[in-house]
Amino acid sequence: MKNPSLPPPRPRIRYVSPRFQGPAVLAFAAIIVTGGTIFWKLVDSEFQRVFLHAAIQGHYAFDSAYDIVRDLLVWHLASLFAGVFLTGSALILLLVAATRHGIGKTVDSLRRSADGDLSTPTGAGPIGEFARFGEKIDAARSDTLASVLKIRGDAAALASSGISSEEFRLRWDELKDRIRRIAP
Amino acid sequence: MSGPEAAGNVPLIHRRYVYGLQLRLFVNFAGGVGILFVILYFALSRPLPGDYAGIFHALRNLSPFFRAILSVSVLLYALLACGSTSALCVYILHKVAGPLYRMDLILDQYRSGVHTRTVSFRHDDQLQPLAKTFNLWIGTLRRDRHRWLATMMDAERHCLQDEATCRAEMEEALREVAGDMARYR
Repeated sequence: MKNPSLPPPRPRIRYVSPRFQGPAVLAFAAIIVTGGTIFWKLVDSEFQRVFLHAAIQGHYAFDSAYDIVRDLLVWHLASLFAGVFLTGSALILLLVAATRHGIGKTVDSLRRSADGDLSTPTGAGPIGEFARFGEKIDAARSDTLASVLKIRGDAAALASSGISSEEFRLRWDELKDRIRRIAP
Repeated sequence: MSGPEAAGNVPLIHRRYVYGLQLRLFVNFAGGVGILFVILYFALSRPLPGDYAGIFHALRNLSPFFRAILSVSVLLYALLACGSTSALCVYILHKVAGPLYRMDLILDQYRSGVHTRTVSFRHDDQLQPLAKTFNLWIGTLRRDRHRWLATMMDAERHCLQDEATCRAEMEEALREVAGDMARYR
């Protein structure tokens, strides 16, 4: 029986980001297709050679074609697996390294931002999705810096302005309102 | 410091996650090659004709016959392996794509001036330091904002006194706030 006090379980969301997962899928597909093509080319030429050789040998001590090509086939399948897996693993390590580099730079940039440095570019690297993300972080930092600098300039100007009390009070309130809008 | 330990002791991407990804890839590719082997085994293990001439002719004609079978089985392998690897990429990489997507939304909200809530990723998501440092930055900004507003409101209290004191205190507060903002560059 359902317990009405328990909230319903939240569905697990699996985000699909074509900009991030798409290139990874394409790269894996390229590895698989390349591996398959090389395998097909090699095995096909080997089959032609081995069957012809077996036919003219004249001594048929086998029951099926598999007995002739067993070692060859197993060797090529093992090579296909090793080639595709090792290349795929290298791709994973490359992806992980790129993510660590790109997002690591972003994390550093956010930490610098907390120390007040909002102008040094993130430099998340040349890889598409991370570069775009780094630019987005930089845009947010840049907006914040522009806002803070504007308020700072206006505050300094207002402090040294000799304007009337009414005008001063108006600009004072406006300044307060703008400060309230920083990091809402 | 842009390595995996970019925020304290929490790595951006856990080693366990990378090993898990490689293990799944291993099983995936092994399965694909296994299926290819089974197809080729059944195609190749058909018994050859019993007599000498029959075997000779069969062996002479096997290559073109197997070329077609080989082509179809390799194509099937490529399709299956590509399909399962794509599913694997979506299934596994969403733990990285998810936080990026979430941060994208948060940054859009932040820039549009909407109230930004504390960012937290799902328990098993990667890139946890990203949320931590973003919250640190926003937290610092809010703390500074509160201080600036407190300075200004403190100056406003002097307006209960005479006008000149009020104005002098407000101008002093403005100079203090402007000086405090100078740390942002």
